[in-house]
Amino acid sequence: MGKIWVDGVSKLFPDRSGGAVRALDEVHLSIEEGEIVCLVGPSGCGKSTLLNLLAGFDVPSTGRILMDDAVLAGAGPDRSVVFQSPSLFPWMTVLENVTFGPRKRGVPRDEYDPESHRMLRAVGLSNFFHHYPYELSGGMRQRVQIARALVNRPQVLLMDEPFAALDFQNRLAMQELLLQLWEQVRSTIFFITHDVEEAIFLGDRVHVMTASPGRIKATIEVPFAKPRAIEVVTTPGFVELKEQVLRLIRDEFARSDRAAAERQAGRMA
Amino acid sequence: MSDAASRAGQHRAAAAPLKTHAGAAPAVPGRWDRLRYPAISVLSVTTLLTLWAVIANVFHTSPMVLPSPQVMVEHLRDMLAEGYAGKPLWDHILASLLRTLIGFFLGIGVAIPIGLWIGYSRTMNAVCMPILGFIRPIPPIAFIPLVILYFGIGEVSKILLIFAASFNFTVLASAAGMRSVPEQLIRAGINLGLSKRQLFTSVMLPAAMPQIFTGIKTSIAVSWAVVVAAELIAAQAGLGFIIEDAGTFFRTPEVLIGVGIIGAIGLLFEIIVTMIERRVLHWQGKA
Repeated sequence: MGKIWVDGVSKLFPDRSGGAVRALDEVHLSIEEGEIVCLVGPSGCGKSTLLNLLAGFDVPSTGRILMDDAVLAGAGPDRSVVFQSPSLFPWMTVLENVTFGPRKRGVPRDEYDPESHRMLRAVGLSNFFHHYPYELSGGMRQRVQIARALVNRPQVLLMDEPFAALDFQNRLAMQELLLQLWEQVRSTIFFITHDVEEAIFLGDRVHVMTASPGRIKATIEVPFAKPRAIEVVTTPGFVELKEQVLRLIRDEFARSDRAAAERQAGRMA
Repeated sequence: MSDAASRAGQHRAAAAPLKTHAGAAPAVPGRWDRLRYPAISVLSVTTLLTLWAVIANVFHTSPMVLPSPQVMVEHLRDMLAEGYAGKPLWDHILASLLRTLIGFFLGIGVAIPIGLWIGYSRTMNAVCMPILGFIRPIPPIAFIPLVILYFGIGEVSKILLIFAASFNFTVLASAAGMRSVPEQLIRAGINLGLSKRQLFTSVMLPAAMPQIFTGIKTSIAVSWAVVVAAELIAAQAGLGFIIEDAGTFFRTPEVLIGVGIIGAIGLLFEIIVTMIERRVLHWQGKA
């Protein structure tokens, strides 16, 4: 369960002049069950577009997305999303936020209650059940979001730059926490980031994406065994992988700069 | 910690480097710091009252122009004892309150669902917004002649005016609240598996509450202003009637008492709504 196949997916958005912008172009991607797949790429390359398609917030213009051999139909808690920006309900306490989904779906209380408590303890928020989001730090809010997602026992966890807004220490702590949680739940994780080190530290595989139009440019297998500790980031093997990915991204920047310059020159002529 | 106290705290924080530079011990928040600004407010009001008393008593101003505080107290005592125009003072206050509250609650009761619908549906928005947008800048009292023409000078006219005024502000605020629900919260709700109906009642409605409340606050203030205006024109009871009637006979103390009661009740409304708002929307504006 939780196996995803993105099959030649393109996504076009209308632009201001009545034309269309190609946000995703013929994206092929397969995610194995229980795998952690990271997607890195420059901002605006269509990473979030792809995540929105996987979540079911939007539909592909062409191509199809299969999960466990069935075409995705709409959004649902089997693919829980952890957003980058604040998405906790500010009028609910931490516990209310976490239990909100199951409560509304009619899950019996004696099922969701212990599970919610367990998840909140797992993310280290045992003492904050009855706090409101505005009483929490940025890192704690992201912990609540993760608990709120995992309490639905999702087959896939979709994470859209969830730690990008956190400071360095918090980001490290959250990355390690995520790997610990994964050891327990073993759901498939699709993780978007622009932080190359984060991608390699977390991912079993890292996909590098190009911008305008968004394509998967390369896929890198990460050989380090899990569980991983943060010390792995200073090993020669890790540094080598990081160099490789950075080079891919730099090439991509050079190419898109050239393309932009050519477009500009074309407009001037 | 109260607002005033936290402001005082910030003020001190800004001044701290100077103090340490001078070699003084860092300031500890004391009672004076907490009471400083409320004390200034009390002083300000007392000064005004004293000034009034002094001017009225030293210059022996005519009670028709500026009655002294003693004269005012006398008249208030008389009004409490004997009422005004054959009706107890309470009846006048109740008459105004009742009209306002009936019109106000009817207004927001109708305005909130319609406003939410306008904010939710683009079609509904296209249908209603041109009309509401045109009506909005018209002062409610401009409709008084029309309402009197159609509905006479009875209670219906007054309540209708208040209804229109409170509807007007709350409908637009509710629509704006609905439109400004963060997309991310809606997505979070969809992602958790909520039905459309659950999404509306459990996510969009609470998220729109702060703006709805802003509309309600404006509506109660405007309703109160409109009731007085409506009573100025045609009424046998009410605070607006008192100040209009007393004004005709140059009974300045009664006019001032009426104005004072109108002000006090207006303030009371605001305090009550703000208290409810702080309780219900404690999360609002806190990042």
